Amino acid sequence: MYANPIAYFFSSIFVLIAHIAMLVNIYFNGNYTNVRSVAVLGAAVIILDIAYLVGIIFFKQASYILDFLLILIIGMSVIFQSCFGEVGFDVKHYITCIVCLVASKASYLLCRNHKYLQDKKKYIYAAIGIVVLITLVFTSAENMWIEIGSFTIQPSEFLKPLFVLACATSIADQQKKHKVLFFNVVYENIALFGIMAIICLVQVKSHDYGSLPTFLSIYAAGFLLRICYPKAKFSKKKLFAVIAVIVIFLLIGLKYAPEYVQHRLHVDIWSDKTGDGYQQSQALIGIANGGWFGVGPGKGFLANVFAYDNDIVFATVSEEWGLLYALMMVFTIVVITAVPLINPARSYFHGTMSACVSAAFLVQMALNIWGSCNLIPFTGVTVPFISTGGSSLMVSGFMIGMLLAAQSPVFKEQKNKKQEAPVPAWRWNE
Amino acid sequence: MNSLNLILCAVSAAALDICIFVLIITAYREKKSSKKNWHEVSHDMELAEQGKIYELGCDEVLIGRHASADVRLPDLSVSRYHAMMTVSDGVWTIKDIGSKSGLFVNGELIREKVLSENDIIKLGNRRLIFRKRSDKRVR
Repeated sequence: MYANPIAYFFSSIFVLIAHIAMLVNIYFNGNYTNVRSVAVLGAAVIILDIAYLVGIIFFKQASYILDFLLILIIGMSVIFQSCFGEVGFDVKHYITCIVCLVASKASYLLCRNHKYLQDKKKYIYAAIGIVVLITLVFTSAENMWIEIGSFTIQPSEFLKPLFVLACATSIADQQKKHKVLFFNVVYENIALFGIMAIICLVQVKSHDYGSLPTFLSIYAAGFLLRICYPKAKFSKKKLFAVIAVIVIFLLIGLKYAPEYVQHRLHVDIWSDKTGDGYQQSQALIGIANGGWFGVGPGKGFLANVFAYDNDIVFATVSEEWGLLYALMMVFTIVVITAVPLINPARSYFHGTMSACVSAAFLVQMALNIWGSCNLIPFTGVTVPFISTGGSSLMVSGFMIGMLLAAQSPVFKEQKNKKQEAPVPAWRWNE
Repeated sequence: MNSLNLILCAVSAAALDICIFVLIITAYREKKSSKKNWHEVSHDMELAEQGKIYELGCDEVLIGRHASADVRLPDLSVSRYHAMMTVSDGVWTIKDIGSKSGLFVNGELIREKVLSENDIIKLGNRRLIFRKRSDKRVR
């Protein structure tokens, strides 16, 4: 605990400097009518930074690097979202960011002891079932959100961390093989495949095709580690078989995709600038307009385009803050996902969890950015931490808590579990 | 955009760059302390045989003949996937995972056993000693 106090002190200072530099940029370059709005935004960001950096001292962790990266990206998110269109203070996004930070800590406390979670595996499967039912009953293809007062919840988002937990908790059961006819079967693998199939069907029913690659990436990361568990069991044949099945399903999916999806796949955005290609063409114009250093916070025109703050947020940031800043934002998220590579997890459970979360973050980010840049069809997937959306931010926070847990794990047996008495060595019996 | 604003944008981006660079350095510093922390969790134990020391680097250590086992014993008397060692609360347990020649701890054939310091583990013709980690100690 607190193994590197000097490094932590400097990390905190540099996080604050990075945010202050952004606020100074807003003060000199931003589009605002009253300087008070800049002062309020600045105070809110700095207070959140200090509160979080002080708060993490009370958590006994082996590693704090993800906390610094999280507060850095959350501060950037608050500043970006408050500046789109005109500099102000986006209170709703600020509150969701606080919820994200709280969710990360709650998730860390929940996931750091894998033996505890492995004992509660059935509750994870039950939670997946409940969320799937809620999604089926309360949402439709036209409306994927549930409205509770002034808040809206997207239930399918909550399937992501639950699915990651399902992948990770079942990894230790890979050695429990059962003979069914002529095959050695692991029940957990079949259950996981079933869950994945159900989630995909629910997403297809909700017409949320953009989320499918995220779930598939989580499953792929989980499966890859599954067939490598223990390491010696790695089988190239299985891997090639899985890749072949995925490619076949992908081709079938593309062939029989609904008409509007087919249209999106083949649309020429420049010849359909006012139709299906509107957002992407505007996003590309915005990126070009912003150049390397942007037109200035709050001075972009993309704030008038639908979904400027979530679906095409990369383009909006590029326009107002410049491509350099947008790329640095992407790099920050890439560094978050790369932390488990610098300090690898000490258990297969945490390793699987880290791989699944990193895969989900990277795929989500790639879909959003490539979609904005017209490299792939527009999917409407959010960029983790940067896009608006309470459900998305809360789930992203929960998932980064899993990475935190993998960096500071606890290896303890459950107290209520019957413990095997240590067998004395033979020399003591003699 | 005038040159002053351009400089401010560049400075702002540079501050973010430096911050990320500092955080990456902190991550590498934490890697060292994390290793030290792991040695405390695993009670600083290691496996050793004549002239060789095997570090117990994660909570599940696979012992076998296969090239990708954590503790590789290239001996035909050892199964490819012979035994698995796990740690919990600083207590190491060894478990036979379907070996052909069996797993012996201190001469006793076992299926699963909690290990104590200086236990002798026999897998096929190979003998390993479970002991406290010590770089200087040569057996």
